[in-house]
Amino acid sequence: MPKYLARRLGQSLLTVFLTLTTVFLLVRLAPGDPAAAYAGPTATTADLARIRGEFGLDQPLIQQYGIFLRDLLTGNLGTSYSFRAPALDVVLDRMPYTITLAVAAIAVTAVVAVPLGVWMARRADSKRELGANVLTITGQSMPDFWTGVMLLTVFAVLLPVLPASGFTSWSGLVLPTVTVAILQLALISRLVRREMTTALNSPYITVARSRGFSERALTWRYALGNSGVPLITAIGTRFAALLNGVVVVEVVFGWPGVGSLVVRALETRDYPLIQATVLVTATLAILVQLLVDLAYPLLDPRVRLGKAA
Amino acid sequence: MTPTPQSASSGASPGAPAGAPPREPLSRRTLLRWGAAGGAGVALAPLAACAGPTGAPGPGTLTLGLNRSLVSLDNKLNQFDAAVTVQRAVRQALTRIGPGMKPRLVLAERFEMAEPTAWAVRLREDIRYSDGSPVTVEDVATALRMYGQVNGSFLLGLFPELPTVEKTGARTFLLHTRKPVPVLDRLMANIHITPAAANKPEELQSGLGTGPYQVLKANGGAGEYTLGRNPRYWGPRPRIDTVRVRFVPEESSRVVALRSGELDVVDTLTPDSADQLTGLPGVEVEVTSGVRMCQLFYNFRKPKGHPLADPRVRQALTHAIDGDALINDVLNGSAEEAGGVVPLALEGAVRTGSYTYDPGKARALLTSLGAGDLKVKVIWESGEFAADTSVMEAVLDMLKAVGVRASLQQFEPGGDILTWRQGRAGDWDVIGNGYGSPTGQALTTLQGMYGGTAAKERTRDAFMGYVVPGVERQLSAAATEVDDAERTRKLATVQQAIWDTWPSLWAFAPKTLLARRDRVRGMSLLTINSYDLSAVRLEG
Amino acid sequence: MTTALRSAASSGAPSAGSGGRPSAVTARDLARATATRQRRGARFKLWAGTVCTALVVLPVALARVLPLPGADAQDLSERRLPPLSDGHLFGTDQLGRDLLSRVLHGGQVSLTVGILAVLVSGVIGIAAGAAAGFFGGWADTVVSRLLEAQLALPLLMMLLLVVALFGPSVTVITCVIAVAQWPEVARLTRSLVLVEREKPYVAAARVLGLRGWSVLGRHVIPNVVRPASLVVLLLLAQAVLLESALSFLGAGPQRPFATWGRIISDGQDYITTSWWLVTLPGLVIALLVVGVNLIGDGLRDRTRTARLPRGVRAPRTSRGARAGKGV
Repeated sequence: MPKYLARRLGQSLLTVFLTLTTVFLLVRLAPGDPAAAYAGPTATTADLARIRGEFGLDQPLIQQYGIFLRDLLTGNLGTSYSFRAPALDVVLDRMPYTITLAVAAIAVTAVVAVPLGVWMARRADSKRELGANVLTITGQSMPDFWTGVMLLTVFAVLLPVLPASGFTSWSGLVLPTVTVAILQLALISRLVRREMTTALNSPYITVARSRGFSERALTWRYALGNSGVPLITAIGTRFAALLNGVVVVEVVFGWPGVGSLVVRALETRDYPLIQATVLVTATLAILVQLLVDLAYPLLDPRVRLGKAA
Repeated sequence: MTPTPQSASSGASPGAPAGAPPREPLSRRTLLRWGAAGGAGVALAPLAACAGPTGAPGPGTLTLGLNRSLVSLDNKLNQFDAAVTVQRAVRQALTRIGPGMKPRLVLAERFEMAEPTAWAVRLREDIRYSDGSPVTVEDVATALRMYGQVNGSFLLGLFPELPTVEKTGARTFLLHTRKPVPVLDRLMANIHITPAAANKPEELQSGLGTGPYQVLKANGGAGEYTLGRNPRYWGPRPRIDTVRVRFVPEESSRVVALRSGELDVVDTLTPDSADQLTGLPGVEVEVTSGVRMCQLFYNFRKPKGHPLADPRVRQALTHAIDGDALINDVLNGSAEEAGGVVPLALEGAVRTGSYTYDPGKARALLTSLGAGDLKVKVIWESGEFAADTSVMEAVLDMLKAVGVRASLQQFEPGGDILTWRQGRAGDWDVIGNGYGSPTGQALTTLQGMYGGTAAKERTRDAFMGYVVPGVERQLSAAATEVDDAERTRKLATVQQAIWDTWPSLWAFAPKTLLARRDRVRGMSLLTINSYDLSAVRLEG
Repeated sequence: MTTALRSAASSGAPSAGSGGRPSAVTARDLARATATRQRRGARFKLWAGTVCTALVVLPVALARVLPLPGADAQDLSERRLPPLSDGHLFGTDQLGRDLLSRVLHGGQVSLTVGILAVLVSGVIGIAAGAAAGFFGGWADTVVSRLLEAQLALPLLMMLLLVVALFGPSVTVITCVIAVAQWPEVARLTRSLVLVEREKPYVAAARVLGLRGWSVLGRHVIPNVVRPASLVVLLLLAQAVLLESALSFLGAGPQRPFATWGRIISDGQDYITTSWWLVTLPGLVIALLVVGVNLIGDGLRDRTRTARLPRGVRAPRTSRGARAGKGV
């Protein structure tokens, strides 16, 4: 187990590092000039040159990379150009908002999708199940920005009951959460349904039934219990993806999370901020993945980490 | 999640392979419970941390929805129209631009030109910062120095030169310039005064000032601020307890939030948003003329033989543009077609001509000038001005209608439009550009746009390559003219000269639009897109 | 309906199909059997999916032929007309252009990008996944690391960056979406190949002296292409969504090209007054994507019930990233 953990951590570290390097190069190769975005349209060429010098962008790429690595080791990700504050702090300030949205969305998804999947498995292949199936597929098929704008139109414009933008009160969480959850619903509910159908048809359920266990216990305790690993995997994967920023939904709802920060950082070519965002989100996503993997043996004692993939 | 998902496979499931370990140091169930509790903690911590205190604004709270993020309450770098309102509620300058673009005194009780290159200033006696410390002459001197040391400041471009301070008494000093700067009293409205010891050549994150409000809570990262009354304010006590400043990036969200009463004031509206908000119950839309010039500016770096290097071709093309349709249909009537080379609301601006729509004439003229097969590439950056994309797409259609093959290239913010503007990237013919004018002076705008010289052009700093030596000479002469009447006359002449070079395919000045809930009273929106926050009150 | 009955029915279904001989299994039982119902469900999905897709794809394909005003033909006097107004089934947009025409012409761009992207990602994904699964070792390590890295990346941000880097053209956007999607195909192919690799025919081919690459190319890949291609339709749906999200965020082909995402993002400024500008294009996208998803789903259900016993169905990871557009 410790050996496995060490190997996984090492690999994850390498992944994060390579990702950061890619981003470092990409942002510098992309057209656009942070100095121009920083100084505005009236800046003169001399101004821009001075600002580039201040940002250290006048040095050769390889040297910039060296400085970046050196600072990275000391946990310094540079100063955000547009916020004029340590880039890492700016990202960490925004992180709670994205985590909040991701947690809420995953929680809503799980609370709706798991019972729905169980129900679908018990009603497998009935007309109603088909209906539910088609409905979740529809939810998944709508462009998220469109779903968001539609929800906004209905619940903030036609019946102004929920705030349209930002997170100033708890009610502001509702629309973005629902928008994200609608997307995830199909995936999780169908997974539960598939696993449950398999489980419910297994011999051990038949045996348990013959021994007089109640249908409820059979369904929730035994069948669903055996679906734990794939379910946790799917939910964990989705959660990790959400942490990477639900960019579009955050933009639509003016959510002050990392996703909208990324768009802003791109618009101002705020290199340190872009790099810090990537570092934080990638680390977090990989950590969640790792936790999910570590949870397997807890859920299913047959699983041994580090043996057969 | 599910209540006890683990038990199925351990012992009770008869069908499962019997692979359970003989003993476990910790039962899996315990671990799972811990995990669940920890997970819940992790999940709830951020929720608790960032839950806002209130939803809808309370009776004593005014909520402003800005469409750009206010990174700090300092203006050394962060200069956009709407921010001025909030910045000046906290930090004040010696003067401000009042109604009719006239300078008003704020921290100075006297600000007069003593001689062409020196201004005599006396500070008010009763002014203190919100922490109780007095305002000194050193604070002014330090402020000027710090503004001068900041890299890439938008404001520095407005000053022909920064004045130096010569202290003449406890509260009196002289502002010296090398050449006459007749509009120094207007320009000084942009220099915000803060205690010298705390001033730095960068944007200040703190909010110590003399204004009617002080900062209670600031989150520059999210662009959110809460301001409370400054108990030591020297002027009349502000009417509102708390002002909340929010950053709402999406225009449609601002409209929706104002409708529902979540926001009290949204400024710098697009014409479409104003159109949607006009006539709604509980909402008032304020309109004034704008000081921003939005132009479809020609590329003045075309080689000699190119049709667009010929003013007659540039003029001929303007006949293709249906200005009325653009103003009324695309911009919903919330803009004025330019009648001069700078917005007419500016002090010193004069009407020099008008654009006429006559596609037949455009076609005929273009053919007779040998530019019948003209190709035009229009570039602009998203959000350069309100309804930019609609205007551009409409213009494209109008150009096509006179037989000009036009194409569009839109740049996203952060892209490299700057290198294109400077003529270092691709070739283009017309650029969509907006030019603000925070001083309210025609002169600053004229110099910025048309004051290009060969020297500036060597570093590609002449505005779109516009270098007309005669115009530049006339502008410099006007800029140092101390006599007001004479300066106005000189400015009028040079504006006509510029107009005759046909710098723009079309131009307009968007009106300044602001919408507020009707409980917000006492607001007088100035042409420079700002208002005095201390005069605003809430009713109902 | 009880579970007991269902399990009985499902175990009895395979033998009950042959008609003619007297049997206790009535037609009604047959109709209620799981297999029948599964088939019916799959058939319904296929039908519904085909209808939805055709409703969008046919008009899009025929956009040039249909008697519609041009997509860029403006009439500023007819701005923002509501749907069903004179000559404009979907109404007009803020410049008086026919919305239906714009949606259909925009669809040509979006669909072209989607189809091309899926083809490209299919090729990359199958090649990489097959190599990883078949050869294992460092090939597997490299591919798996790449897959993991991509999962950890803020995908949409990377896409926006790349579009900024190479300029927003149809080619670039196609490639960018393909790069975003190859992991899904690769992961599925890898797991299929892992199963296939152990089969006797592979060993036989090796014994006959074929080299690794030839075995993979001639024998293994042809066997996995079919199941792997099932995911293609689902990817197409995703590609269309991704393209519209990119356009929505501003990274679409140059104006005045209409694309679905851009029509919606332009229309967003008018939601309180002109609902159709956002609603109708969104409905069209949703209709197409629902259709494609249903077809993909129906096909998969059918394959599963018809050919593959349960153990060989597509591995779960393949579907794990299925809704991966929530970036």
